[in-house]
Amino acid sequence: MTPLNDPRDQIPPGTLDMLILKTLARSGEMHGFEIANTIQLNSEDILQVEEGSLYPALQRMLVKGWLVGEWGKTAENRRARYYRLTARGRTQLNLEIERYHRVTRAIERIVQPA
Amino acid sequence: MQFNEILRRLGYLLKRRDQASDLDEEMRLHVELRAAQLSSSGVPTREALDAARRRFGNRTQIAEQSNETWAFNWLDHLAEDLVFAARTLRKSPAFTIVAVATIALGIGLNTAVFSVVNAVMLRDLPVADAGRLVSLWEEMQREPDAFRGKDEEASAGPRRSTVSPANLVDYRKTSSFEGLAGVDNAQMNLTGVGTPERLSGLSVTANFFPLLRVRPMLGRVFTADEDRPGHDDVVLITDELWQRRFGRSTILGSKIMLDARPYQVIGILPPGFLPASELGIDTRVDFYVPAAYAPDLLSDEGRGDHEVNVIGRLKPASSLASARAELKVLSQQLGSRFPRTNKHVTAAIAPLRDDVVRKVRTSLLVLLAAVGLIVLVACLNVANLTLVRSIARNREIAMRIALGASRGRVIRTLLTESLVVAALGCLAGLGLGAALMRLLVVLAPASIPRMESTTLDARVFLTTVAVAFLSGILFGILPAYQITRIDPADSLRSADKNLSGRHQIRWRSALTIAEVGLCTVLLVGAGLLLRSFVAVLNVDLGFQSERILAANIPLPESRYATADQRFRFFEQLEERLRAQPGVLSVAFCNRMPMRGGWGTGINKPDTPNENLDADAQAVNVGYFDTLGIRLLRGRLLTSTDRTGQPLVVVINQELARLFYKDADPIGQSIRRGSDGPWLAIVGVVSDIKRDGKTAKVTPEIYIPAAQTAVYPVRLADLAVRTALDPKQYATEIQRQVWALDPDQPVTNVKTFDEIISTAVAERRFQTLLLCLFAGVAFSLALIGVYGVLSQTVAQRTAELGIRMALGASQSSILGLVLRQAMGLMAAGVVSGLLLALGLSQYMKSLLFGIEPHDWGSYIVAIALLTAVGMVVSLVPARRATSVDPMVALRYE
Repeated sequence: MTPLNDPRDQIPPGTLDMLILKTLARSGEMHGFEIANTIQLNSEDILQVEEGSLYPALQRMLVKGWLVGEWGKTAENRRARYYRLTARGRTQLNLEIERYHRVTRAIERIVQPA
Repeated sequence: MQFNEILRRLGYLLKRRDQASDLDEEMRLHVELRAAQLSSSGVPTREALDAARRRFGNRTQIAEQSNETWAFNWLDHLAEDLVFAARTLRKSPAFTIVAVATIALGIGLNTAVFSVVNAVMLRDLPVADAGRLVSLWEEMQREPDAFRGKDEEASAGPRRSTVSPANLVDYRKTSSFEGLAGVDNAQMNLTGVGTPERLSGLSVTANFFPLLRVRPMLGRVFTADEDRPGHDDVVLITDELWQRRFGRSTILGSKIMLDARPYQVIGILPPGFLPASELGIDTRVDFYVPAAYAPDLLSDEGRGDHEVNVIGRLKPASSLASARAELKVLSQQLGSRFPRTNKHVTAAIAPLRDDVVRKVRTSLLVLLAAVGLIVLVACLNVANLTLVRSIARNREIAMRIALGASRGRVIRTLLTESLVVAALGCLAGLGLGAALMRLLVVLAPASIPRMESTTLDARVFLTTVAVAFLSGILFGILPAYQITRIDPADSLRSADKNLSGRHQIRWRSALTIAEVGLCTVLLVGAGLLLRSFVAVLNVDLGFQSERILAANIPLPESRYATADQRFRFFEQLEERLRAQPGVLSVAFCNRMPMRGGWGTGINKPDTPNENLDADAQAVNVGYFDTLGIRLLRGRLLTSTDRTGQPLVVVINQELARLFYKDADPIGQSIRRGSDGPWLAIVGVVSDIKRDGKTAKVTPEIYIPAAQTAVYPVRLADLAVRTALDPKQYATEIQRQVWALDPDQPVTNVKTFDEIISTAVAERRFQTLLLCLFAGVAFSLALIGVYGVLSQTVAQRTAELGIRMALGASQSSILGLVLRQAMGLMAAGVVSGLLLALGLSQYMKSLLFGIEPHDWGSYIVAIALLTAVGMVVSLVPARRATSVDPMVALRYE
């Protein structure tokens, strides 16, 4: 999908949920486009969300009860669904960050020369 | 999946249309905002929108993915499949109706028979914690008999007998039982209120009611003190008797006359306690009196009197096995302490429910197996139909697979169709089953215990649903699997329907062979039962049963204490009855044939210590004439054989054979037991089967009823032979009895033919059912054969046309089709016969006069199947010969 010359990296598989949760944890309420954009900006343009896949992920987290979505208006007065973290979502975020660190440390131990 | 999550999903399901448009709006916003961002960074507007769309990806696919995270996916697919199945089934009503009807027939029969099995064999007794109730009996190792050959005795295992009350006292000392209660039938004459009536009830030990956890509706139960002779003039009556005879008047505490003795009514039992049939008793129970065993019965001398039924309740801590072990040890101890009476006696137990129904168990299981086979045959038949139908759907399925439906999904769609058929069949089957069940209960002979409580309870319902579900899978899976093996490309390209058709015929033939096989099993089973039944009907009882009316006149001890008094009563009654027009002769004795016996041990002077078990009857002079028993040697009893005259006896042929071989028994002496007077044999008469057609002939002695001192038996049974219909003499007997004694009831008034017919009723019932089931399976199998042949002929039209064009004769074409039919039938019959040979062993106990491998039954099954199978195949075969070659070739 991404052009070869694009300098931005796809986010590693399995971390999309964590990134969305973290982004929402940091900034409270956001709609889909804002979440995608924020992830991209906060990673200093290195990580790019595969934009379409954001939405099934958001739906999945709604099902799980990690997020709630409410309709509101954007600054340009457009209708948009704003997502917010729930208490369960916060717990889930901590779990995912913990797991992420565990996995990364393990990978680093293998990759780094002793 | 958590509960909240399910709620969220359900909420989504309810508002799915809104949700879809919400998502759509979100995605549109996203793309527009991205496009705006791009164009603000200098990209031309049109390109910006395209780029934004590209970056977003396939919106439809994303929407679908989002959708799937929410919905119960399988539920959605199921709903789709169901709608689709309903639509396809509606489009082919003929198939649907036949398939549903076939399954309904199988399920209906299955439900009806299973509901009976459930009521009789599976349901708990209707008392609290019934699972711990047991039945206790005694088993007697048979002693080798000096007079009978080894093979005559060895065939039977230990003889089951009722329990001796003296032993019961010891059995109660074991630690396994909460209690053991003695139960016995008790018949007493109710007098003093309206017409005298013979009531039947139970005499029970005081712990009977506590063991069954039952309290009377009014009053109390027996105390241990009342369970003693002399204190036992108390009675509990059933609610039904209270209603029927006393109109629910206040009766508690008052006295009623039973066998001319006043009994105080101390309690009335709750309605519905306890259907006698639950205890395996086939009479009504009106009352309960204390057993009150006499001291001599409870003494060590009484240990040889085995006369009570025993039920018990296991303690929660003990099991059947531990109780059995304990009883075995105790029986051995009793055996060594009382060798004369207890040497060969062992106490045995079994769960009460299983013991009550032990006699009908095999019969019911055979019937259940038979309906199980019918369900299988029905499934095979529907599978066959489904295969035929799938020819027409070949292209449809191929198209679906070509368009990307996975094979799994196609199989699931087809299976859903089968399950819908099964569900409809189940529904119709439940209705049919409920009706058949009621019919079975009405038609069943009364001797099957616990049957009247047959209902469609939860267990029957769930079993039926499970059977229907499994049937659906069974008849759906093969056609579904078979059809998805088609290569879609082949199937779509070729106009030749026969390609898959030929493959199919192999499957259909296999199914048909299986059907014929199962049907053979049922036909053989039905044949075996039918031949047994005919054999039973043809048994000669040895006496004439036509136009004889028998009745029981139980003279109470209190008013007819001596044998003399009893004889005088019957002598007067005989005189009065013989004066009636139409009465040809009158017989009386202690027990008429088919109404029980009177066992006694007899011996002869040369072997005074070797007793032979024989039936002893005190009979009047007219007895032999009335029953048509023939004199073979010597003379019959005459009116001069009275008290004071020489003591004489007439024996039957069987006793003569066992005692005297070929020697002449006339003039020899025999006696009852070790202390009876010697009796001179004056005659030998022909044998009769007193215990019914399937029983063995027992050795028998006939003593003059007038020589009352010899043998103080209880004269009780009367029989009259009449010129016309004997039934109409019932009231006459009653009238003459009342003329002699207005307080004396007459009971059990039945013609001999009625008694005989009742005795074979169970066999008739079971034979009828199995024949019916075999008939159903037979019809289904024939439909199967017909179907396969018709399809083959239809598919070979072109080939047959060419053959005929090339000069094949009609008869060779006919032979072609018939050979195929023969092949199917032969393969089915052979496999069925092998199965039947194995399975018929389980029916052994139901057969009479023939072996499980009775060749006649097998030959009949084969002949029937082959003959009718051929007739059925003639229809498609004739169609094959009438093929017009020109038409057939053009058809291609």
